[in-house]
Parts: sequence; C-alpha cells; structure tokens
Amino acid sequence: MHSIFSGEWERKRRRRRISVFSSLAILIFIVLLFSMNSGITPLGPLEVLKTLFGFGDSNQNLVLFQFRLPRIVIALLVGAALAVSGCVLQGISRNSLADPGILGITTGAGLFVVLYISFFSSIDAASPYLLPVFALFGGLLAAALIYILAYDRQLGLVPMRMILTGIAVAAGLNALMTVLMLRLQPEQFDFVAIWLAGRIYGSTWPYVYSFLPWFIILSIFIYYRWRALDTLTFGEQMAKGLGLRVEKERLLLTFASVALAASAVSVSGGIGFVGLIAPHIARRLIGPNHALVLPASALLGGLLLLFADTLGRTIIQPSEIHAGIVVAVIGAPYFLYLLARSNV
Amino acid sequence: MIETDQLHIGYDQQTIVNDLNIEIPSGKITALVGANGSGKSTILKALSRLMKPSKGIVYLNGSSIHSQKTKELAKQMAILPQNPEAPQGLTVTELVTYGRAPHQRGFGSLKAHDKEMIGWAIEITGMREFANRPIDHLSGGQRQRAWIAMALAQETETLFLDEPTTFLDMAHQMEVLNILEKLNVQEHRTIVMVVHDLNHASRYAHHIVAIKHGNVVKTGTPHEVMEAGIIEKVFGIKSDIIKDPRSGMPLCLPYNLCEEQAASPIFGS
Ligand SMILES: Nc1ncnc2c1ncn2[C@@H]1O[C@H](COP(=O)(O)OP(=O)(O)OP(=O)(O)O)[C@@H](O)[C@H]1O
Ligand SMILES: [Mg+2]
Repeated sequence: MHSIFSGEWERKRRRRRISVFSSLAILIFIVLLFSMNSGITPLGPLEVLKTLFGFGDSNQNLVLFQFRLPRIVIALLVGAALAVSGCVLQGISRNSLADPGILGITTGAGLFVVLYISFFSSIDAASPYLLPVFALFGGLLAAALIYILAYDRQLGLVPMRMILTGIAVAAGLNALMTVLMLRLQPEQFDFVAIWLAGRIYGSTWPYVYSFLPWFIILSIFIYYRWRALDTLTFGEQMAKGLGLRVEKERLLLTFASVALAASAVSVSGGIGFVGLIAPHIARRLIGPNHALVLPASALLGGLLLLFADTLGRTIIQPSEIHAGIVVAVIGAPYFLYLLARSNV
Repeated sequence: MIETDQLHIGYDQQTIVNDLNIEIPSGKITALVGANGSGKSTILKALSRLMKPSKGIVYLNGSSIHSQKTKELAKQMAILPQNPEAPQGLTVTELVTYGRAPHQRGFGSLKAHDKEMIGWAIEITGMREFANRPIDHLSGGQRQRAWIAMALAQETETLFLDEPTTFLDMAHQMEVLNILEKLNVQEHRTIVMVVHDLNHASRYAHHIVAIKHGNVVKTGTPHEVMEAGIIEKVFGIKSDIIKDPRSGMPLCLPYNLCEEQAASPIFGS
C-alpha cells in the first residue's frame, strides 16, 4: 500500500524539487557574485572573494562590507518578503492577481513612512528601527480600506472586486502622497520621489537590522501555516470541513502578509509586482503545495529583486535606474498577461 | 446520532429551511431526497456545521456541534460537497492526503498511520491506477471517486456526501454505493447522502428523508416513504411502486408528471 509514496513517480517528483531549488540557489549565487563585482569602484571576482575571506585592503573592505553587501542583503530580503506576502494574499483570496503592490498595501506603508520622515528633517535623521512600525500601520490602513470597500455581505470578498478596489485604494494613496510631496522641504521631497520610484534606499546595515527580525518572525509564522494555506485554496466550506478555523486563520495570515510587505517596503522603495510574479512562477515550477511554494517564492522574489537592483545599478553607470522601475518593466506586462488569462 | 432542534437555515434574509426537526440514526445509511432546489444541500451543510443555522441547534451524540472545536468535529465527520473545487495540478494522492489534515498539526509530516489510511482510501475507491495523475486530467467519474477517497481518508465515524453518484456511469454508481454500504456494514459508519435516484435510496438506505421546499414531507424506512402519494407530493410525478423481485425493496416507476406540474413551468420553485 505504501508504494504510492515511494514509486517511480514520487522519485521523479523529488528530483524535480531538488533541481528547482538547487537551480534557484545557483542563480542567486551567480547574481550575488555579479552584484558584488559591479559598481562605481571596480572590484573583480577574485578581489571580491579575497575580500569576503578577509584578505582585502581597507578600501575594498569598505566598498564591499559597507556599501554593497547591506544593499544586496536588503534586496534579497525585501524581494523574498514581498514574494511571500503575495503568495499568502493569493492563497487566501484564491486569486492569482493579488499582490501587496497592486492592492495598495505597499503604498499605504509608504505613505506612513513619508509621514514619519517628514517629522524629521530627512531620512538620515529618522531612526530606521521605527520605520517598519509606521509602515505596518499604513499597510493595515490600506488593507482595512480594501476590506471595508470591497466586502460584500452576501458574497464575502469577491476576488475581482477586491483587486479593483485595491487598485483604486493604491491610486488614492498615491495621490495623497503626491499632495503631501508638494508641502515638503526639498530634501524630504527628494525622499518621496525616491520612494515612489522604488529605489532601495535602506542600503546600510542598520536598515538590515531593523528589518531582519520582522522578516524572520513573520516568515516562520507564515510557514508554520502552510497547511492552512493549502486547505484554504479548496474554498471556505471544504477548509472548514477539514477542520480549519477559516476566519481566524484568514485574519492571521492577512495580518502577517500585510506586516511582511509593509515592513519590507519601509526599508526599500515602493516596489511592486515581485509579489505577483514570484509566487506565480513558483507554482508553475513546483505545484500547489505551500510547503514548497512558500520557500520557492521567497527564493524567486529575492533573486528577482537582486537582479533588478543590480541591473539598474550597472546598466547606465554612473547613473542608476531604481530597482522598482526595473521590476515594473518586467512586471507590468506579466500582470497584463495574467489579467488576460484570468478571463474576467 | 444526529438530531436537529427547530433548525432555521437561510442565505441572508431568505429563509430556505423552516423549523426542521430530524433525526439521523447512528450506524445507518440515511438518504435525503427531494427536487432540485428543495434544500437538500442546505440541510446537509447545516448538519455538518459548514453553514450556521439562523436559529436552532444541531446535536451530535447529544451535544451541540456549534460549541465544539471545528478540528475535533473534522475527526468525527467528513463532508463531500456537491461541487468541490481543488487547486490546479494536485494529484489524486495529494488530494487524498488533505483528508488527513484534521489529524495533523503544525509543520508535521505524514505518519505511518496517515499513509495507511491514504493507501486504503485510494485502494477501496479503485483509484490505484490513477494515484499519481493530476485530478484535472481525470474524467468526471474518476474525479468524483478521488474526492470520495479524500473524505474516506479523513477516517470519520460519520460521512456526509452530497450527490456522490452524479457523473458516474451505472457500474460506478453501484460501486460507490457498494463501498458506502460496506463501510456501513463492516465498520458501522453513519452515512448521510443526497441521492437523486429514488431506487438507489430505496435499495441502499435504511432511512429516507423526503424534502420539499425545505420541509420534511416524510421520513422513515424505504417501505414507508416510497409511496405513490408521497412521491407525487415531493416530486410532482405520478408513479407506480412495485416490489423489487430480488431485494424485496420498493421500486419507483414514474409514468407521468402531475397535472399542475405539467401545466406550470417545471423549473419554478
Ligand atoms: N449561496 C446561496 N445563496 C443564496 N441562495 C442559495 C444559495 N445556495 C442555495 N440557495 C438557494 O437555496 C435553495 C435550496 O438550495 P439547495 O442547494 O439546498 O438545493 P438542493 O436541494 O441541494 O438542490 P439540487 O438538487 O439542485 O442540488 C434554492 O432555492 C437555492 O436557490
Ligand atoms: Mg444540492
């Protein structure tokens, strides 16, 4: 009887999983090396390795450890966080178009980040450790708005209606941010512009330290619920029949995914589409099981954002294109493609 | 035993079922019969706590199900809805594995007993050869059996099945009903199912509940419920009831619609 779990087919699957995860790891490693090489100060691959193992000169140390590494780490973490958040939102809404960017959650977070920063003279004067907290309130505000506006008493949260409401909420919050911009000091104005363009501004270690605990705790919290996510994709009634406390789990998962996306964009700019693309590709590569889809999405999201940031940093040196714009160039067509396929 | 006490069930303002008092005997097969839209699925959902009644209580072995943990209930009752949906790309084995969800916790993986139950459920529903196929690549009948296997893997005392034989050819209908009968006879499981074929209800169920417009018209043994007058009332058809020469159970042979039914649109409520 047990042979259904150990047959040829199961071995094939296991091989496939291993090959997906190892290819992702290798790709990340390649982009990582390339990202450490590139920048205004030239640093060859050998020099990078030398410096990494503690044999670099002071200048090389400074460039690699103080400038490049924190930015790389932030790009990987933020990309992974946005992807996991999107994966959860898609799972609980049973809609492949859900994404913290499209739903306006990241814009809500950004708005509060901007408000927080405008209390101080500039981003440098503001403590990075409070950024995720303010962002969380902004993200929750956007989520609450969507819920209130899109909730139908008879039908619950209709996926398409939720997406459209989210787009409207995002547009509204963006407009609010623009209005706010006009009333700011030049330096703060620059910050908002950077935020909107999705530049990874949190490129020093304190931002990494500020975001890392959020990332770790929320990711574990979400991963612990992979079975609930799986069960929810069967629909509300089936999930309940399988013993899931649907309302409670959905609320917890929504909160965690909003917190994850909001805290992520509090140390980067408003980056969209990662949460849309990464889980979608992950599902195609590895099937619907969230125990695998969640980590695969995280790796893909990290890879995607690191790639976008590196590309944006190197393509028109010494100037740079912000990561959010690079991602949008890839992501917007992908969104339209998904929209066209979802036959609405 | 499952009992209801003055159950009112509805969607929003619209009440579908009024003041329902029924008893589902333990260890027996109960069939819910009635016309389309009469409220069979609604009642089944309320009995299995998928829908919250607007009034009234459902008792499982004497205690109210509304105050029990949904996970604990999921170890006692499994439900196969009328139109279940699954995420794309899931294989039969994976689908059936979700039937074990109420018995698992946290990150946990499958224990030996889980695998045993999954294997048994796949075997008994004849899905062995399709075990590794994605369910969207199966025929309607094969898919239906995969869902039944999932419900069976849940290893519950009570099984609720909403039209488990739709989409199945005659042989497979019988096969599914035979599985249910076997589970009932050998393991004394309580089975509550919605069926459209009255003769199946008569042959396999110990207890029939006939429903019209959300009200119970008649409950009892097949001999008590399968009467021309009752069938006319519940379904609006004229029929002869004859005795199955093999099993001795009543058989219903419809021969015409009732006058008022024939005159008015059939699909009205
Ligand atoms: N989600 C819903 N919202 C509103 N009304 C509903 C809903 N589901 C069912 N109804 C209504 O409730 C009534 C009973 O439906 P139910 O599904 O219980 O019928 P049924 O006896 O199972 O029919 P069938 O044999 O066609 O499956 C119908 O009039 C139906 O239109
Ligand atoms: Mg029905």
